[in-house]
Parts: sequence; C-alpha cells; structure tokens
Amino acid sequence: MVKFINNIKYTWIKYGFLLQQLVSRDFKVKYKRSVLGIFWSLLYPILMMTVMAIVFSNVFKMSTPGVSYLAYLLIGLTYFNYFSEASNLAMSSVVGNFSLINKVYIPKYIFPLSKCLFVGINFLLTLIPLYVVILATGTGLNWWHLLLPFSFICLFLFTVGMGFILSTISVFLRDMFYIYGIIVTIWTYLTPIMYDINIINPTLQFIMKFNPLYQFINFARSIILYGNCPTLGQFAGCAVSALVIFFIGIFVFKKNQDKFIYYV
Amino acid sequence: MKKKEEIMIDVNHVSMRFNLGIEKGFSLKQGFIDLFNKEKRKNKKKNEFWALKDVDFKINKGEVVGFIGSNGAGKSTLLKVVAGVMKPTKGSVAAYGNICPMIELGAGFDPQLTARENIYLNGAVMGYSKALIDSKFDEIVEFSELKEFLDVPVQNFSSGMTARLAFSIATIVDPEILIVDEILSVGDIAFQAKSEAKMLSMIGGGTTVLYVSHSLESIKKLCDRVIWIEHGVVQKMGGKEVCDDYLKFMEKKEAGDKNGKEGN
Repeated sequence: MVKFINNIKYTWIKYGFLLQQLVSRDFKVKYKRSVLGIFWSLLYPILMMTVMAIVFSNVFKMSTPGVSYLAYLLIGLTYFNYFSEASNLAMSSVVGNFSLINKVYIPKYIFPLSKCLFVGINFLLTLIPLYVVILATGTGLNWWHLLLPFSFICLFLFTVGMGFILSTISVFLRDMFYIYGIIVTIWTYLTPIMYDINIINPTLQFIMKFNPLYQFINFARSIILYGNCPTLGQFAGCAVSALVIFFIGIFVFKKNQDKFIYYV
Repeated sequence: MKKKEEIMIDVNHVSMRFNLGIEKGFSLKQGFIDLFNKEKRKNKKKNEFWALKDVDFKINKGEVVGFIGSNGAGKSTLLKVVAGVMKPTKGSVAAYGNICPMIELGAGFDPQLTARENIYLNGAVMGYSKALIDSKFDEIVEFSELKEFLDVPVQNFSSGMTARLAFSIATIVDPEILIVDEILSVGDIAFQAKSEAKMLSMIGGGTTVLYVSHSLESIKKLCDRVIWIEHGVVQKMGGKEVCDDYLKFMEKKEAGDKNGKEGN
C-alpha cells in the first residue's frame, strides 16, 4: 500500500507539471482569438438550455410537476454535456498526439486524462449559470448541495474510464469517431435529460436506470429539485457505476498501450 | 574488466518486429474480405518485417557511440527502443540514468501558442520540472536569439527559428544519457556553429551519447565506438575503422546497383 502511494507520488512529481501544461494549453488554444473568450463557457449552456426549453416545453408540452422544468433540464444538460464533450476529446487525444507518442516517452494515459480535466474545469464554470437558473426559478438552496461534489467525482471517474476505453478502440478502429457520434446521440435520448423518466413504461424504466449518467443526474436532481438527501441506493449506484467503468478503462488501456505505436 | 556500475545502457538481445500488413487500423470491409481469403491469411506471416534482429551491446558511462548504416537499416528504431518509446518484441533494454532523447526536435510544440508558452509546454514534454524551466528560461531565450519574438505564436515562425527554439530547449539540461538523431545542422551558419559547439561541450562533459549520423566525418570526430547496422543486424562493432568498412560496403553496393541496371 505504501509502495502504491509512493508510486503515485513519484508519478505526480514527474508528470504533474506536464498534465498541468497540457490542460492550460487546451485552455489557451480554445479561447485564443475569440472575442468573448471564457464567457462562452457560461453563455453556451444558457443558450442551449433556452433553445431546448422553448422546443420541449412549448412544442412537445413537456413539464415536470412540482419543480421548475428549466432547472430540471439544465441539470441534465450540464452533466451530459460534460460527459459527451470530455469523452469525445479523450477519444481523439491519443490518435491526435501520435506525433508525440512516436518520439518521446510520455505515459500515454496523460492525454485522455488531461482532456477530462480540461473539460472538467469548464464543467465547474457551467455550474455558475446552473446556479443562476436555480435561484432565478425559485428552486432554492439547501444544505444537501454540499453532497453534490460526490456526483462530480463519480461523473469524472466514469468519463475518464470511458475516455480510456474509447481512445484505445479508436487507435485500432478509426471508424470509432463516427460510430461514437451516433452512440452519443442515442445516449442523449435514452438519458432522461429533457423528459421525466416516469413517462416511460416501467420495464423500460428499469433498464434505463442502469445508465450511469442517469444515476449521476438523478442524484443531483433529488438534491437540487426535491431537497432530499440521496438514498444509500443512489450513492451506491453512482459509486459502483463510476468505479466499474473507471477500472475497466484502466485495464483496457494498460493492456493495449504498448501496441499503439504500431498503429501510428 | 569494467565494473557493473559503469554500464549505462544494456541492450539485451533486442528484436523488433513490425507487421507490414497493418494499415492504420482495421477496416470492416477488408476484414470481411480477408475472412474468405485463405491466401491472404497465410501471407500475413510473410508480411512481418524485422526492423531489429538480436541486437546486443552494452554502453559504458561516458562513452560516445556512433551508429551508422543505410536508410531504413533500423538505427532510428533502435534509438526509439532505447528511449523507451517502443517496447522491443524480444529482449530487453535497461538504461541507468535519465535520458534526453533528441530524436525529433519541437515535437511537442503547439503552433498556436507563443514561444514563451511553448518553452514551458515543450519543457514539460521533455520531462523538465517547472522550477528548472523557470531558472533556465533566460538561458533558453538567449541561446535561441528569439528575444523579440517571445510573444509571437510559433506558427508565424520560420522553420529555422522553430528549430533554434527547439534546440535551445532540448540542450538546456545535462542529461546522463543523450540520444541524438542527426540534428547538428540547425538554423543558419552562425547558429550551426553555435549549436555544434554546444553539442561538443555536452558530449565532452562525460555524458553517455548515442549518436546517429550519415556524416562519417562527424562520427569519426566525435565517437569512441562505432556500431554499423544493416537490415536490423549489427554488422560490425568497433573503433573508427568500422566507418571505412561501411564506406567500402556502400561503394560496392553502389557499383553493384549500377552494374545491375546496365545488365538490364
């Protein structure tokens, strides 16, 4: 155990700075030359939410009884957007950095990890508009909000795990970039982001609850919208789904990373 | 007898196999066709290509070893294996000391970032710590002679300027093992002289050097030992006389090629 901790410490000392540099590089490149710069991180989710709110509440007459539909929608969007953006960037990060991997020894996991961290910082910024909406719609605050970081960590670990799996697959199968685009679209509709899971028939509902993203979003909603402390089952659902995917990701990545170089 | 501590690099019966059949990933269509094509499946074995075959040598501390051989002989692959970029198919490599691989300069540059930002990013890629870069920053800038262009994005640099910056970052440390893949000729004439002097001082400073070059002159000038590789096999190992054997071999080959063509 001590050896394990020392190992992590050593890795952090050796590659922590590189990780930090890669994340800050992404930030600089993303907002370079855009007039509004980092404000886009705040503006984008609000605009997205507005469009979807108009479409779904007016056209499809969606509503969530007892709670604000706007807040309901934005919680789902915030979580899901983090996942879809981070996993997409993580997937292409290994292939995109082949020129580096081919020349210098760098632990390869650093690329997907840095992308998940980069989008993670963005995610924290999007919490600002989320809280603006929570306050503006009169949803209100409560002490259980302090438990929300638990769901952030679960979401992060899950996304990193998916990033490892996807980036490994995409090295061997470049079609994955296209396939995954479709998978994410399907996933968006299978996750109760814009609709209430209760409008679905019970058998389907049962299956949909195995979706880890539903677990994280549901955890956040029961705190923010209903002011409840999440049940033990909700905690377990988040932790188990996150850790399982996280460790599968590590295993898959570790097992295949030495072969990456042949597929350059 | 040399003491064991003095061995810096131990290349132990290393073989490296590439599969020429692999064409960047795998396409479903081709996989399906191959399924019915017995001939092709049999050919798969024939498509193997051994870039290195049973290469075995040890390098002592402070030794400057030159590698020669025609294009595609496996020199660069060997350096990549020593640098840890590739894992050998068979055998093992052990390096006792920190390695500075100057295989391709500026591999870690992001063209959109400024020179200042790239110094930190590329430094992190090379494995430097923040403290080290902070303390050597002025030295890097001065050596590269790019003081006025520090806040210009690297994409606006000329190739010579980029190479100068990369060289200055790469050579700022005193590594225990230096791997050089033909980069002495960087920039304009004045900078070439400067960079060559810098290289010579690094080599003379007791560093262990692995040096690949097609310039037999510089190999003769710099190296204590010469290893000649052809088709992935070590042809000859020894002092500077190996260069002359190599030269004779090349002349013969050239003559052979000529005769062959005339014969046709």
